[in-house]
Amino acid sequence: MSDNKPLDKIIVELRERAKELNCLYTVQELLNITHNLNKEICEKIIEAIPPGFQYPDICVVKIVCPNGEFQSKEFIETPWVLKANIYVQDEMVGNIQVYYTEERPFIDEGPFLKEERRLIDNIVERIGLQIMHFQLKNVFEKQKLSDQKSEWWVVLEMLKQTDPQLLLRLSRKMVNYLCWNGVHEADSLMDRFNPIVKSAGGKFLSEVNKPYKKQADNNGINLSYEIFELAAKHLDEQQILEIIQKWTKEDKSGFLTEVLENSGSTLSNISSAIERYHHLIPNMIVLSEPRERSLKVALIRRVLTDQSDFIEIAKDYIEIDSFNELLHRTIYPSKSHGRLGGKSAGLFLAKHILSDSSDESESLKNIKTPKTWYLTSDGLLNFMSHNNLEDIMEQKYKESGRVRQEYPYIIQVFKNSSFSPEIVKGLLMALEDFGNVPLVVRSSSLLEDRIGAVFAGKYKSLFIANQGGKEERLSELMDAIAEVYASTFGPEAINYRVQNNLIDYHEEMGIMIQEVVGAKAGPYFFPSFAGVAFSRNEYRWSKRIKPEDGLVRIVPGLGTRAVDRLSNDYPLLISPGQPGLGINVTIDEIIRYSPKYIDVINLETGTFETIEIDLLLKRYGREYPAISRVVSVLKQNHIQPARPLGMNFGKDSFVVNFEGLIKRTSFLKEIRQMLSILEKKYGHPVDIEFAHNGKDLYILQCRSQSYRAQSRPAVIPADINKTNILFSADKYISNGTISGIEYVVYIDPVEYGNLTDKSHMLEIANTVGLLNDKLPLKKYILVGPGRWGSRGDIRLGVSVTFSEINKTALLIEIAKKRRNYVPDLSFGTHFFQDMVEANIKYMPLYPDDTSTFNEDTLNSSKNILPDIIPEAKNLQNVIKVIQVSDNNTKELNVYMNADRGQAVGIIENL
Amino acid sequence: MSNESYNPFAIAQTQFDKVAEMLDLDQATRDLLRNPLREYHFSIPVALDDGEIKIFKGYRIQHNDARGPAKGGLRFHPEETADTVRALSMWMSWKTAVADLPLGGAQGGVICDPHNLSDSEQERLCRGWVRQVFNFIGPEIDIPDPDLMTNPKHMLWMLDEYEVLAGKKAPGSFAGKPVGMGGSMGRAEATGYGVVINIHEALKELNLSPANTTASIQGFGNVSQFAIELFNQMGGTVISVSSWNQTDNDSYTFRKESGVQLDELRSVTDSFGGINKEKAIDLGYEVLTGDAWIEQEVDILIPAAIGNQINKDNVGRISDRVKIIAEGANGPTTPEADTVINERNIFVIPDFLANAGGVTSSYFEQVQSNMNYYWEKEEVLSKLDVKLRSAFISISDFAKDNNLTMRDAAFVISIDRVAKACHDRGWV
Repeated sequence: MSDNKPLDKIIVELRERAKELNCLYTVQELLNITHNLNKEICEKIIEAIPPGFQYPDICVVKIVCPNGEFQSKEFIETPWVLKANIYVQDEMVGNIQVYYTEERPFIDEGPFLKEERRLIDNIVERIGLQIMHFQLKNVFEKQKLSDQKSEWWVVLEMLKQTDPQLLLRLSRKMVNYLCWNGVHEADSLMDRFNPIVKSAGGKFLSEVNKPYKKQADNNGINLSYEIFELAAKHLDEQQILEIIQKWTKEDKSGFLTEVLENSGSTLSNISSAIERYHHLIPNMIVLSEPRERSLKVALIRRVLTDQSDFIEIAKDYIEIDSFNELLHRTIYPSKSHGRLGGKSAGLFLAKHILSDSSDESESLKNIKTPKTWYLTSDGLLNFMSHNNLEDIMEQKYKESGRVRQEYPYIIQVFKNSSFSPEIVKGLLMALEDFGNVPLVVRSSSLLEDRIGAVFAGKYKSLFIANQGGKEERLSELMDAIAEVYASTFGPEAINYRVQNNLIDYHEEMGIMIQEVVGAKAGPYFFPSFAGVAFSRNEYRWSKRIKPEDGLVRIVPGLGTRAVDRLSNDYPLLISPGQPGLGINVTIDEIIRYSPKYIDVINLETGTFETIEIDLLLKRYGREYPAISRVVSVLKQNHIQPARPLGMNFGKDSFVVNFEGLIKRTSFLKEIRQMLSILEKKYGHPVDIEFAHNGKDLYILQCRSQSYRAQSRPAVIPADINKTNILFSADKYISNGTISGIEYVVYIDPVEYGNLTDKSHMLEIANTVGLLNDKLPLKKYILVGPGRWGSRGDIRLGVSVTFSEINKTALLIEIAKKRRNYVPDLSFGTHFFQDMVEANIKYMPLYPDDTSTFNEDTLNSSKNILPDIIPEAKNLQNVIKVIQVSDNNTKELNVYMNADRGQAVGIIENL
Repeated sequence: MSNESYNPFAIAQTQFDKVAEMLDLDQATRDLLRNPLREYHFSIPVALDDGEIKIFKGYRIQHNDARGPAKGGLRFHPEETADTVRALSMWMSWKTAVADLPLGGAQGGVICDPHNLSDSEQERLCRGWVRQVFNFIGPEIDIPDPDLMTNPKHMLWMLDEYEVLAGKKAPGSFAGKPVGMGGSMGRAEATGYGVVINIHEALKELNLSPANTTASIQGFGNVSQFAIELFNQMGGTVISVSSWNQTDNDSYTFRKESGVQLDELRSVTDSFGGINKEKAIDLGYEVLTGDAWIEQEVDILIPAAIGNQINKDNVGRISDRVKIIAEGANGPTTPEADTVINERNIFVIPDFLANAGGVTSSYFEQVQSNMNYYWEKEEVLSKLDVKLRSAFISISDFAKDNNLTMRDAAFVISIDRVAKACHDRGWV
């Protein structure tokens, strides 16, 4: 990209497109004036065509049609010609020729653009239709005058002359129709009509269009008359005519079927076909319901995803024509067979479901989706082959250590690679369309967001400021896409795929380029608030909250802080079904667990930043979008609502509690409605991402929330022998049964608390990861102090990543009093959805309270850590690994019943 | 709690019995003061948002009102018991008496977990509580204060219900209200200032001038911040403060030999008194371990964080230079450490007395509410100064006269005051 040429070219091209469309509309308008393609109309069309071409001044036109030959005033024939034939029912009846009178540089087809070819093809197609209509009309009119034969007879006559193929197809349909409607005489006609059917055992073959061409002989045509005569006995004149009319219109969608059912057709073919369809509806083309359905399914499968669960739902909400706009904003390699991927498909479907349901709920009408461009999934392959990076595909079969080791290198290689010219061109168009607004580049892989497989945070999403010159913006965008591409080969993603038996699936990565929802405050750009909402609440901070009350995680600013895991900050959690029941009640709690930081895009430095919300408010509070909905005023020990007027950002203290949003707007009601509609239509729980710019609520993503059958309330055994109880709990219990546990891995809270060296604490985390590899899947439970997965201060809990604990069946956090203080537990928030996904249960234990934890049993059992990992022998005072039974006579079973708020882990005989 | 080893009421009675013995109280007085005067136990039906009715158990226990209207907190807690409330009501009687306020002691509560209640349900609960005890509370009878899991919001709901039932305004019927809604200025400053007013009096007794003294403080919450403010105003120098660091889950001591500058340190502190370590270093503070505050070469130690911070393990690290320990926190010194400190002849201002600024400002709120005339902050603080100095002097004199520690003297004097009032009223 050494100069500005490509971009200038784009602008020229866009201008050309506009001219071509104008031309097409003018022609269409002319055709609407009269059905007869007379001299006057032809001359006007001749005048209308040159302005649609690149060089109108030297452009002359000639139309040859059944009504004669017409041409421009100063018409001459030259070697630079673009010619298109006019067909009526597959018969050539004329043509249009466009000449340049002087030589011009060669582009696509001589001096003509390929778009100009499309334009002229489009025009002749319309003229063809027009001529056919006129002929039909004439036939009908003549028929009326003579009034000798039935109208349908005349139609057949005409078809016989103009389009015998269509006549055969219609006859075939009619005979089928008669058979299905129980007209027995039709059976024999059927046999005669197509002997192959009989030889195939009397079974109907499926589609009928193609084989007929072979049999188009006079015999078939004659049979047509017999068929329609039979039809006339059972149907009245009007009915037959209506049927013929309907089937004829349906027949015109043949091009769509051909493109969509043909697995060889490229996205570019599909896009053209959809565009053509878009211009033909609503009057020129009609689809039968099954035909429409089958086309929709084909389109969804080709463009969005081939998951049958998704298609099943999507086909009820997405219209064929809605793909027109989608494909206009889709960038793909030439000859692309790619799809848009899970995330894009999910959002597209959610948008249509919500707009379809807006009758049920007025408020849903106002929910928006941000402007989005898509890069198809084969863009990744295109990128890799363009840069000869195919070797990297093998990455997923390498051992996890090597994957981790090589990942930083892959990122660098990807970022230093280039995109193919057609993709660059597409990205430039996208940037032109977006303008200078900040963008987010999100992954939308084919495996991502499948039902039951949520790649939560495994692939990257990157924000870019999109400021400055065009080149700068383009290079920033390409850099971000390359990095998202690279994340396909990251250790977390590959490990997740191994876990879920998805490793052998072909992974392709689609990209979504989305406008960031937000507003400007000072140098920063961010939404008023954003977050994630789940239709099922797996958290329980009060017995009164039911899973179906849902859960919303809201943060001020960009939603990254709600989606990603935080170690030093908290999003606001609220259950839309029980908005009155907050997690935090006292002023101390409300302040302590309120968001203190905000993610923003700094437009001046072009970077994504995390800043203290206090500082932001002090300097730019007045510009913060809808600030009075986000914060309340903190007056010593009293919290007062913030009002749009009278806030003193320099002096007052604020707490981010979204009180205004919750109490003074219908936000939670809307979210709840949205979740309930989406859950109902999807047929299972969902989660969505949203953002609000101070004016409108946007939905950014929608996908299935996994929810499993094993999460039913357990029956807690009666009369348990106390000595067999390993632990019991009565707070924040979820539902479920875990059986057959063979090992307990226990991090001694006191010993862990005594570690003084950070490296020792990290060693504990690593060893837990090694144990996770060695112990059998879902046969062990993990018990440890405080917050599992701590990031910042790892004294709060063992600093594991999810991949280091992903094989455990149950994660227990012990809140053991230290000095006068009971540590805050994480409640699994570090990897909440991962745990839900992997069906790992969570339980907090408060041994100083009413929970019990039988440390004696653990301490008196043999610590087998050195047997499993000999080099970790020096850690055995901190990590205890206990085998529940060394001779397979006992197992640990955990029973959890949220409704009773009780859980117990019992060692039972097998 | 069914745990029999720990019953707060039994502990409070044992403490009382010990002092009763010292004061040689007659049996009737002992019987009267060992137990609350009046107890109200009642049920509060509350309609939950979904229409379900739930019955909550509520209490108001008035231990003694011989010296004036009873006063004390109102707690919402799921594990509240009558014995906890009884113990707290008794402690309130001693607490108002030690500051020599014309008030008695009471305590109340509701067994509930506000985490399970929406705001509107809590409001109905508060109003329900008032309806049950309307006849037994009020500006001239018993004035509740916010306490565990209750805050000004709850007080205002209760006040509103009270006034509706009374058919008149009665802002003095509840304390802990926000400024502008019947609250008092200076409430934030009161406890911290009170600690330093006591220190000032102690210094006078030791013939020391504040200007030449240094102090080390544990904690950087509300109490210590205002203690530093007043101590600096008096010319003293605070050289170190410790603070809990939420991110590191550990505490640090921040030291500046030239003296802690309150404003600069506040600018890097969160609303829980957590000092930002990195920013403090930038401001020129040395960062030491959390317990380093106790071993500083200073004249005054102020433990103003949490309980049990001076214990047998670290009491030996207190510098020989230390002359005063002012207990800004509740129960910061363990009995073993207390013995050592007494042996070393360090002047201890017991928590009871050191943090009496809080209850005194709450009394001022009540007084102003009853007049419906509110003082400027300076007036509140100057009245606080007078009240606390005279409280200190009477206890200090009592200690000297009777050869008691300040701690014992404070306890004895307060019980003596309540006992005398009962006697003078002819009850016993």
